[in-house]
Amino acid sequence: MSRRTRWNRAAFAVVMGGALATGCGAPGGDAPQPEATGASLSAAPTCGTEPVTLNAYIETGFPLPKELSTEFSKQYPNVKWNIREDQFAVITQNAPRVLADDPPDLMRLPQVSELVKNNLLKNLDGYAKAFGWDSWPASQLEQMRMAPGGKTRGEGSLYAMGLNFSMTGVFYNKKLAEKIGMSSPPATLAELDDAMAKAKSAGITPIAQFNGGATGGLAFPLQDLMAAYGPPGPINDWIYQKPGATIDTPANLQATRHLEKWIKAGYFWKDVNAVDYATMMSRFIKGDGLFMFNGDWESGNLDKQMPGEVGFFLMPPAQQGGKQAAMSAPLTFGISSRAKNADCAAFFLNWVATDPKAREIGVKVGGSHPMGPADAPMPEVAEDTVTASTLAAGAKIAEDNGAMDFIANATGAIYAKSWTPQLQKLVAGQQTPEELLKSVQSDYVSQVKGS
Amino acid sequence: MTRPTPDSAVASSATGPGPAAVTGKRSPARAAGLRTPRWVGWLFVAPALAVYAVFVLRPIALTVQYSMYRWDGIGPSTWAGLDNYVEVFTDPDLFASILNAVKLIVFFSAIPVVLGLAIASTIRRIATSRLALVARTVLFLPQVIPLVAAGIAWSWLLSSTGLVNQLLTYVGLGGVARAWLGDFSTALPAVGVIGAWVLLGLCTILLLSGMSKIDPALYEAARMDGAGPLREFVSITVPSLRQEIGVCVTVTVIAALASFDIVYVSTQGGPGNATMVPGLEIYYLAFSERQVGMASALAVVLMALVILVALPIQWLTKDRTS
Amino acid sequence: MIVGRREAWTGRLLLVLLMAVTIMPFVSLFVTALHPSGSYPSGLEWPRDPQWGNFVKAFQAAQMVELVKSSTLIVLGVVPISLLLGTLAGFAIGHLRMAGRNVVFLVFVLGLTLPFEGVITPLYYQVRDMGLLNTRWAIILPLIGLYMPFAVFWMRAHFVNMPDELSESARMDGANVWQLFWRIHVPLAMPALSSLAILLFLWTWNQFLLAIVLVDDPLKRTMSGALGAFQGQWGTDMPLLCAGSLLILAPTLVIFLIFQRRFVTALLQGSLKG
Repeated sequence: MSRRTRWNRAAFAVVMGGALATGCGAPGGDAPQPEATGASLSAAPTCGTEPVTLNAYIETGFPLPKELSTEFSKQYPNVKWNIREDQFAVITQNAPRVLADDPPDLMRLPQVSELVKNNLLKNLDGYAKAFGWDSWPASQLEQMRMAPGGKTRGEGSLYAMGLNFSMTGVFYNKKLAEKIGMSSPPATLAELDDAMAKAKSAGITPIAQFNGGATGGLAFPLQDLMAAYGPPGPINDWIYQKPGATIDTPANLQATRHLEKWIKAGYFWKDVNAVDYATMMSRFIKGDGLFMFNGDWESGNLDKQMPGEVGFFLMPPAQQGGKQAAMSAPLTFGISSRAKNADCAAFFLNWVATDPKAREIGVKVGGSHPMGPADAPMPEVAEDTVTASTLAAGAKIAEDNGAMDFIANATGAIYAKSWTPQLQKLVAGQQTPEELLKSVQSDYVSQVKGS
Repeated sequence: MTRPTPDSAVASSATGPGPAAVTGKRSPARAAGLRTPRWVGWLFVAPALAVYAVFVLRPIALTVQYSMYRWDGIGPSTWAGLDNYVEVFTDPDLFASILNAVKLIVFFSAIPVVLGLAIASTIRRIATSRLALVARTVLFLPQVIPLVAAGIAWSWLLSSTGLVNQLLTYVGLGGVARAWLGDFSTALPAVGVIGAWVLLGLCTILLLSGMSKIDPALYEAARMDGAGPLREFVSITVPSLRQEIGVCVTVTVIAALASFDIVYVSTQGGPGNATMVPGLEIYYLAFSERQVGMASALAVVLMALVILVALPIQWLTKDRTS
Repeated sequence: MIVGRREAWTGRLLLVLLMAVTIMPFVSLFVTALHPSGSYPSGLEWPRDPQWGNFVKAFQAAQMVELVKSSTLIVLGVVPISLLLGTLAGFAIGHLRMAGRNVVFLVFVLGLTLPFEGVITPLYYQVRDMGLLNTRWAIILPLIGLYMPFAVFWMRAHFVNMPDELSESARMDGANVWQLFWRIHVPLAMPALSSLAILLFLWTWNQFLLAIVLVDDPLKRTMSGALGAFQGQWGTDMPLLCAGSLLILAPTLVIFLIFQRRFVTALLQGSLKG
C-alpha cells in the first residue's frame, strides 16, 4: 500500500511539476524599446535596387491601397507586395497585437495613441525631415502627431502618414431628391429634417445607413449632428484624450436626442442593426435611400456606379450661415517599430503624396484630397461629379477650421465595445440618449486610464 | 473545444460498462504488469504526458496566474488579486455573456435532444430502410463541415432578404420577417437555431442507434398490457436510452457553453451585446482590448462552469445497472 | 398493421423533412454562388444567367491549392504523432497497468471537457516565446497536446479490453515490451486507431480558434481558419463568399462521402465511448 501511494504521489508530482514550472514571475514586462528613428537621416531613403517584399495590412473593400501598390511596383519593379486584408473593425482590434508580434511594414491604422504608448509605431520625424513633409500644411499631419509618451494627440512627433485626406458629409440620390421637390442641398438642420419627413411620407427611406456587426455606422450621422449643435473643438479634445475632456456635453446630448428622433420617426431601414457597410452601399446604389452619411472615399465609386445621379453636401449647421464641420482624417498608415523594410515603406508613403500618377490615382480611385505640399499639382476632375463636390467641400471645411477626427477613433476599443453596442441599443429602443453618452464616457475613462 | 464530440468522452471516466465488465475476467497474475519493471510503463506515458503538460497543463496554470494580474499583454503587469473575478461577476456585460451561454443551452441541448427523441422514435420502425440509410449520411453533414461554414450559410439564410424570410412571406407571415441576427430580441435564439441545426442530426442518429439495441420484446410486452405509444415512449424508450441521452446532453451543453465559431462568424456578439458568449468575450478581451487578466479570469470561470455542468449530468445519467 | 403503416409513412415524411432542413443551407449557398459577383440576391432565386465562373474566381481568390496544401501539412503533423503518443500512453495505462496509472489517467480525463478558449491566451504567449507564431507549428504542437486527453482515453478503452493471455503467450516466445507493443498490440488496435484517426483529422481540419489566434497568414492556417479570413476579405461580395465557402467545404465533404460509413461509425463511437 505504501509503495502504491508513493508512486501515486510521484506521478502527481511529475504532472503538477510540469504544470507549475511556469516561472513564477509576473507576466509581461518585455515591452519593445523605443527606437530612435527620430534621428535625422543623412539622405532620403529609397527602396534600393535589391528585391524587397513589403508586408502590408490593409482594409477590405477599398481599392485605393491596392491600386497604389500595383502602380508603385510598376515604377519600382524590385518591390513586391504581400498584402493582408481585413475589415476595419478587425484591424482596429488587431493593431497592437499584430504590430508587436508580426510587424508589417505598412499598416492601416485607426488611431495611434495607444500604439505609441507601447512603442509599437516607428517615429517618423527622421523621414519627415528627410522628405520635407514638415513643409506641408500642418493640419494634414496634426492628427498623427503624439506628444512624448503618447499622452496627447495633435502635437509632438509624427507616428503615421496618410495616403490621402478624406472627409465626410451627406451624399444624396438626385433622382429621389427631385421626387420630393428638393432642388438644392438643405442649408440648415431644419431643412434637412423637412426633406427627410417629405421622403418618409413619399415612401422613400430617408437615410441609408449601416449599423450592423461590429461597426455602428450611426456614429456618422451622430457626429455630424454633434457638429451641427456645437463647435468641433471639444469633440477633438475628447478624441485626442486631452485631460478632463468629456463627450457627455449638453450639445452632444441635443445631437443624440436628434438622432433618436430620426430613429423613432422611422427614417432608417427597419433592419439597420443588421446592415453592414457593403449592404448599405449596394442598397443606396440600387436607389434605396435618399441620404447617406458617408465619406468621400466613395466618391470615385459612386461616380462610376451612378454617374451624375449623386450629390454631396456638408452637414448643414443648426442655424442658417453657421460654421460647418466635418469628420476629416488622413487615411492613416503607420510603420511598425519592428518593420523590416521601414525605409522602403516610408519612401512609398512619400511617393503616394508626391508622384503625379499616384496623386491622380488617389483622387480618381480614392475620391479624396491627396496629401502633400500645398502647391502640388492637382489632378483634373470633371465638373459635375461627386468627386468635384467633395473636393470643394474640403476647401470649405479648411476655411471654417471645421475638421474633426472620428469619435470612433478616441481609443482602440471605443468603437467596437462602446459606440457600436450603444448605438445598436438606441435603435432598438433599449437605450436613452442620456445614458448612451454617460455610458460611452465611463467606458472611455476606464479605457484611457487602463491602457 | 469547438467540436462537441470528444468532450462527451467524459461520460464514463472509468465507469463505462464495457471496461468494468471486462476487468473481472482478467487473470489475477496481471501478466504484463508483473513481468515488466514497474517504471517501464512510465516510459510509454512520458511523451504523451510531456506534450500534455506543456500545451495544456501549463497553459491552464498560466491562465489561473494571469487572472490575478492586470496586464495589457505588452507592458509590465500589476498584481490584482481577485479583482478580475469580482469584475466578471459584477460587470453587467461580462456577466451577461455567461448568462447568454446558459440560455444557448436551451437551443443547443434541449431542442436537439427533445426533437431528436421524438424523431428517432417516430422513424424507429423504418430505421433499416434505404431512406434511413441515406438519412444517416445526410444528417451527419453538419458534423463534418466547419462550424464557420455553417455560420456563413445561416447568416445568409437568416438575413433580411434571406430564404427564411422568403418562406415566411410565402406562407403569409411576412409580418414577422426581420433581420433575425440583427434584432435584439431574436439574435440569440437565431444563433441558437444554428447550433440546433448542427447538433440535431448527431443526437437523432445517436438516439436511433441506441433504440436499435432495445429488446423488441419489451415493446411487445407493453402492447399486451395495452400501453399506447406515449406510455411506451415514457416507460421503455426513455429509460433504456439513459446513457445515450446523457451523451447527447453532455456534448450539446458543452458546445453551448464553449460556443465560439458560430457566434464569431454570424454576429460577432452583436447587436449590442445580445449574443456575446464567454468564448468570444475572452477572445476580444485578450486580443483586442488587451485586458489579459480579465480574459483569463473569465476563462477560469468558463472552465469551471463546464466541469460543474458536465459532471452532474454524467452522474445523473450513468448506467447504474452494471 | 394499418397503424404500423401510417406510422411508417409519418416516419418517412419526417425524415425527408429533416433532411431538407439539413440540406437547405447548402442549397442556399450554391444558388447564391451562381449570382453575378457583387450583387445582393434575395432569398432562394435561381439566377437568370448562372455565373459558374464565380467558382473559378473564388478558387483563385481563396488560393485553394495553397489552402489544401496547408491544411494537409497541418493534419500530417498532428494526426500521426497524436496517434503514436496516444497509443503508447493508452497501452501503458490500459494494458501494462503501471503504478500510478489511475492518477495519470485522471489527469488526462480532466482535460476532456476543456474548452480551448480557456487556454488560448497563455498558448498565444507561449507560442510567441517559442518563436513559432505564424508558422504551422503554432497550430500543430498545441493541437497534439490538446488532443492527448481524448487520444489516451480512447486508446486506453481499447487496450483495457485486450486479454492478458495475449501478452503472456508472446512473453513465452521471448518478446520484450517494445516488441509486444509493435508486433502484437498495434496491429490488433487498427480498428480503434483508424476511427481515432478520422476524428482527429476532422477536428484538425476544422479547427478555427487556434488558427485565427496563432496564425495571421491564411495560407498557413487550417481550412476553417482560412475560411474565416476569406470572409474577412470577401464578406462584402455575397456570391463570391458563398462560392468560396462551398469550395472550402468541398474537400471534407468529398472525403466524408467516400468514407461515409467509417465516418459515421467513428463519430458515433466517438461520442458513445463516453
